[in-house]
Amino acid sequence: MSLLGLVLTIFVGSMLAALVSRFGRLHAAWLSGVVVVVALIQLLFLMTPVIDGETTIERWSWIPTVGLDLVFRLDGLGMLFALLILGIGLLIVIYARYYLSERDCMGRFYAYLMLFMGAMLGIVLSENIIQLLIFWEMTSLSSFLLISYWQERSDARNGARMALAITGAGGLAMFGGFVLLGEMVGSYELSVILDSGELIRNHPQYLTVLILILLGAFTKSAQFPFHFWLPNAMAAPTPVSAYLHSATMVKAGVFLLARFFPALSNTPEWSWLVGGAGLITLLVGAIVALFKHDLKGLLAYSTISHLGLITLLFGIGTPLAAVAGVFHIINHAIFKASLFMAAGIIDHEAGSRDMRQLNGLWKYMPHTALLAMVAAGAMAGVPLLNGFLSKEMFFAEAVSAATYLQLGWILPALVTLSGIFAFAYSIRFIHDVFFNGEPIGLPKTPHEPPRWMKVPVEMLVALCLLVGILPTLTVEPLLRIAAGGVLQAPLPYFDLAIWHGLSPALLMSLIALIGGLLVYSLRYPLFRLHDRFEPYVQASKVFDALLRALHALAAAITRHTDIGSLQRMLAWFVFSALVLGISGFAAGDGILRGPRTTLPLDGVSLVAAAGVIAAALATVLLHRRRLLSLIVMGAVGLIVALIFVKFSAPDLALTQLSVEVVTIVLLLLALYYLPQRQLPESGLWRRARDGLLALAAGGGAALLSWAVLTRPFTSISDYFLDNSVSGGGGTNVVNVILVDFRGFDTLGEITVLALAALGIYAMLEHLSLSGPTVDRRGRPWDRDVHPAIMGSLTRILLPMALLVSLFILLRGHNLPGGGFIAGLVTAVALITQYLANGVRWTQARLPANMHPVIGVGLLLATLTGLGSWWFGYPFLTSTFSHMHWPIVGEFELASAMLFDLGVYLTVVGATLLILIFIGMLHSGDDTEHKPAGESA
Amino acid sequence: MTFTMPNIAPALPEIFILSMACLILVIDLFLTDRQRFVTYLLTQATLVVAFILIVTDFTQGRVLTFSDTFVRDPMADVLKACIFIAGLVTFTYSRDYLQTRQIFKGEFFVLGLFAILGMMILTSAHNFLTIYLGLELLSLSLYAMVAMQRDSVTASEAAMKYFILGAIASGMLLYGISMIYGVTGTLDLAEVARQVPETEKQLLLTFGLVFLIVGVAFKLGAVPFHMWVPDVYHGAATPTTLFIGSAPKIAAFAMLMRLLVDGLGGLHAQWQDILIILAVLSMGVGNIVAIAQSNIKRMLAYSTISHVGFLMLGVLTGTAEGYAAAMFYTLAYVLMTLGGFGMVILLSREGFEADKLDDFKGLNERSPWFAFMMLIVMFSMAGVPPFIGFWAKLSVLKEVIAADMVWLAVVAVIFSIIGAFYYLRVIRLMYFDKPVDTARLEVALDMRLLLSANGLGVLLLGLFPGGLLALCLAALSGS
Repeated sequence: MSLLGLVLTIFVGSMLAALVSRFGRLHAAWLSGVVVVVALIQLLFLMTPVIDGETTIERWSWIPTVGLDLVFRLDGLGMLFALLILGIGLLIVIYARYYLSERDCMGRFYAYLMLFMGAMLGIVLSENIIQLLIFWEMTSLSSFLLISYWQERSDARNGARMALAITGAGGLAMFGGFVLLGEMVGSYELSVILDSGELIRNHPQYLTVLILILLGAFTKSAQFPFHFWLPNAMAAPTPVSAYLHSATMVKAGVFLLARFFPALSNTPEWSWLVGGAGLITLLVGAIVALFKHDLKGLLAYSTISHLGLITLLFGIGTPLAAVAGVFHIINHAIFKASLFMAAGIIDHEAGSRDMRQLNGLWKYMPHTALLAMVAAGAMAGVPLLNGFLSKEMFFAEAVSAATYLQLGWILPALVTLSGIFAFAYSIRFIHDVFFNGEPIGLPKTPHEPPRWMKVPVEMLVALCLLVGILPTLTVEPLLRIAAGGVLQAPLPYFDLAIWHGLSPALLMSLIALIGGLLVYSLRYPLFRLHDRFEPYVQASKVFDALLRALHALAAAITRHTDIGSLQRMLAWFVFSALVLGISGFAAGDGILRGPRTTLPLDGVSLVAAAGVIAAALATVLLHRRRLLSLIVMGAVGLIVALIFVKFSAPDLALTQLSVEVVTIVLLLLALYYLPQRQLPESGLWRRARDGLLALAAGGGAALLSWAVLTRPFTSISDYFLDNSVSGGGGTNVVNVILVDFRGFDTLGEITVLALAALGIYAMLEHLSLSGPTVDRRGRPWDRDVHPAIMGSLTRILLPMALLVSLFILLRGHNLPGGGFIAGLVTAVALITQYLANGVRWTQARLPANMHPVIGVGLLLATLTGLGSWWFGYPFLTSTFSHMHWPIVGEFELASAMLFDLGVYLTVVGATLLILIFIGMLHSGDDTEHKPAGESA
Repeated sequence: MTFTMPNIAPALPEIFILSMACLILVIDLFLTDRQRFVTYLLTQATLVVAFILIVTDFTQGRVLTFSDTFVRDPMADVLKACIFIAGLVTFTYSRDYLQTRQIFKGEFFVLGLFAILGMMILTSAHNFLTIYLGLELLSLSLYAMVAMQRDSVTASEAAMKYFILGAIASGMLLYGISMIYGVTGTLDLAEVARQVPETEKQLLLTFGLVFLIVGVAFKLGAVPFHMWVPDVYHGAATPTTLFIGSAPKIAAFAMLMRLLVDGLGGLHAQWQDILIILAVLSMGVGNIVAIAQSNIKRMLAYSTISHVGFLMLGVLTGTAEGYAAAMFYTLAYVLMTLGGFGMVILLSREGFEADKLDDFKGLNERSPWFAFMMLIVMFSMAGVPPFIGFWAKLSVLKEVIAADMVWLAVVAVIFSIIGAFYYLRVIRLMYFDKPVDTARLEVALDMRLLLSANGLGVLLLGLFPGGLLALCLAALSGS
């Protein structure tokens, strides 16, 4: 027998209920009843140590890695709540068995109900606050399922949705509060937390913790300004309302206040927040309740008001007030459960809950009427009923709290005002429903319910009377144990007598009684007044407005950021990177310039820089005239090549030069299919914005380069300079790096190049596009596409260009040059033939199938690498020797040259393949305009 | 030049995936469309075997190989195992979708395998170059996967945007790497970490750091580098979205860890500030903008953005426990995302994408079980116990508070509360509204089972999170 077993019993019951309902409609109800009785018996056994004043703590290993155990705790407070949850739960189970109609799915209902019951038990029996939080959210979840049980009704939907949104959000806030509290105290266990009151109250984060936890408690127990979800949750089946409003759900909030009372209370912050919220809720609930024509609506607001009362009591913060709070929790649970059940019976048997229709039911259901009247009397605080006792204590506490407050009289005055309205709505409940003439337009003739439907109500009403008449014999022991659990300290003196003599509290009760009668007699003018002002003061409207505002904000942000425009995205991207970059600068030591001395500025560099800048600017400015901007861009590339020359990097310059040519040809071929002139798409403002962004980003990058270049660095080039000849047998370091030091990389690169070429070939083969035949002014293009002079000249150029490329290839290992450059030069020379003479002419003389070339190139490079394996060296180890050629003279032959040949072939093949196929896209090219060269 | 054979044993799973990807690519060429199933099965088998390779040879400690460019440690192993699971689940969910839409192509699976290989390399990177290599392998595969639906305008547009922005982000990353290389003269993460405290060029280092973070933030989808996320999630076919949204996030987390913690741990003070800004912005924008979405894929995209913010909270604490919390968050997030997008796939059928929020209306009437699964996933994403998302948030918040950043924790909580609204909206639609789409749900058995397991996993790991938490802690306590 254990607390874990107790909680698990209920959860297992939930699952079983869902299962057994398959075998019969009522099985679930019976099973649930039995399970709850079993749980109650377990609880009775577990209670014994608690009655002796001990606290049972039970620990089960759960998540040892983070030091989180499944810990249960049974003390006075937990015991009281467990009794209420299971006791009233049992009555609800019986009641619901008769309440639910044939059409309702019993299994689902009982499964949800038991799930909810188990979660509630978990809350009140948790020692670990994280565990408490889990059960807490489970109640949100399962109550959501319960409230929405009648899914087809739209009010049920909205009610459940609001309940879930509010309590769910509150739960998350509490989650934050709990984590903070746990870190503050160093433990998540209640025993430690409750003992650390001093530490918590003096902690700088106390207020944060308090607010976060209170948000959870207030949303759950429907305190102002979160009270509006509760009446909306009225759409639930009545047994659910009865349960949620009496012993569970809303009580979880006040349970939390009671639980953390020793740890968090006794500060001005606590008093103002808790007391203030309680007082407002008390008043608002009591006043609004009077104006609700719906029977359950009235009860719902009365629940809100009573919860406010309990909260206010805890807010007052004295031990005696806390005792009164616990007492009222018990009393409210008993009379509110019976009232809801009675309201359910009326709804069930009369078919309406509208008090403007329900009149004079006394004649039809006298037994039920009597029960309801007693319970309503308890709610109003009529002497000899349980509600009276706790209400007196509450009034007395309000008076005594008033003595040490400035303007203290306001508190008792407001409390009395709430008492007046409480009395008035209780009278309305009795008089409007059971007397006040005849029923008006009811769908069916009311009659008494089945016998067993009344039994739960009778038992609760009997309790009201018993507690009210014999408090010391019945409720006092339980109250003492429970209050002890709340305070975790010795109890203050209190006396549960019915008669306390002529006290201010009695006077307040009297005023409430008389005032209540008066208000009730004035109800019709008040209703009219209320109807006039009601639309303006609904809290749920505020909630809705807040939601709408949030939606509007979300929509606004979406409109401004999420419009799917790539330009906007890029602008944001660059801007954000810029801001982060500036923040990086601000975070650093702030010195941009490093200690290195700068080289003297010379004219050539200056001109080159100016040229690059001018050409780059022109590219941007002319970007709408594509051909022009391409040409200017070519100029940028050429100047860059010159800069390489200036800094003694002929290899790079050569590469840049040949790559530039190939790229421009490629771009020309591709752009041919785009419109020749792009229309302006952006306004002046946007261009200004983009220009500024570009300037800033470019400036930033320039400054960064400045910062990097002015700082000393160790160059890696020394290693290559030292080892180039000895290790690679070549004096051209760049080439030796390519074919030797980084031979593996080069092999990979040419493979990628080959694959890219094949990929482009696969995409473009058999594809044909029609390009423009007229220029942008509408003039047809020159029919002579391949002018004869140009064609002849390129033909003469070809052998020379090939010779040059061969030269470059051969000398590459020692002097500027190499396979890559040579390959590009060859490719350019051949491409020129295609451009000048047309595809058909060239293809007739030159095999267009480049695949073998690429393949041989790759194979050669790979075999060179593998060759070194043959000789027992690792992959791509190079060797070299010198030989004497007759005319050329001393010539060095390195295995790397073979590799370079592979590179050369691959580059030629790939480049040609890509360019030829892009060029051949234009199907009509050759057929319509016979090139001049062809006729020759 | 000599070339010595490195120890390839630690990279066995990678080598296996690479070989299989190439093999499947070739086998697929010889299959007819009717036999395409073989490709699918081979892909799944590859992932299973790779998973077994990792799990049976779990690393203790830290093994470096390939000239110290590749590291295998417990974190890498755990993350890789999870990547395999995520891949397996993604492919299973995708199968039926792809088949019914005649896009059941071998490329999808091969690209997926290559992307997974990229993720693995990223996870095991111990050198800036390896990081870049993995990142590009991953990104290029993803670009292609998004663009695979050639005839879909939205998909092509999304792929284009993804590619252009991704290229710029990669550029930024390289820029940052080059700057750090300029300062330290090395690309080796451990060597960089050793040099960081000594160097006098703090300014350049900070700049380098900033650009590295831009690159990682883009990959993660953190605000303000998040623009691509909604468009790509929305534009791509749902299986691709599912793929992009799940496993790569694990790799992105690994990348964050490798770069910032392994490499630039010495600059914690600097990157903490930047991450705080990014995290707060991500949580704020993600959660608020998600409310306004009517498309569930976009909504989940923004939800991702907000989760990324939360994840960064864990990393920015700079403690091993914080890293473990962030890792747990990542894994939890991936599990939930799989479930969420799995549901979108489940509801869709040929000619109907089910990507509107309204398509979820009344799901409870059509299929109570899967409505319940979605409810679990949504609650978990909102951080409601007893689901795994709760523990993820809890562990991160705990570490943030432990690192004395209470205000940040409070901000995170506030944004979570705002976020709860849109998750709950999905639940409301499923449970309370009348179904708009009344077609019968026809779900393949494998999908039905796996999605149920996915949903129940969110619940069960929520009830017993101890094992996974311990795993994350153990994986990171060594580093």
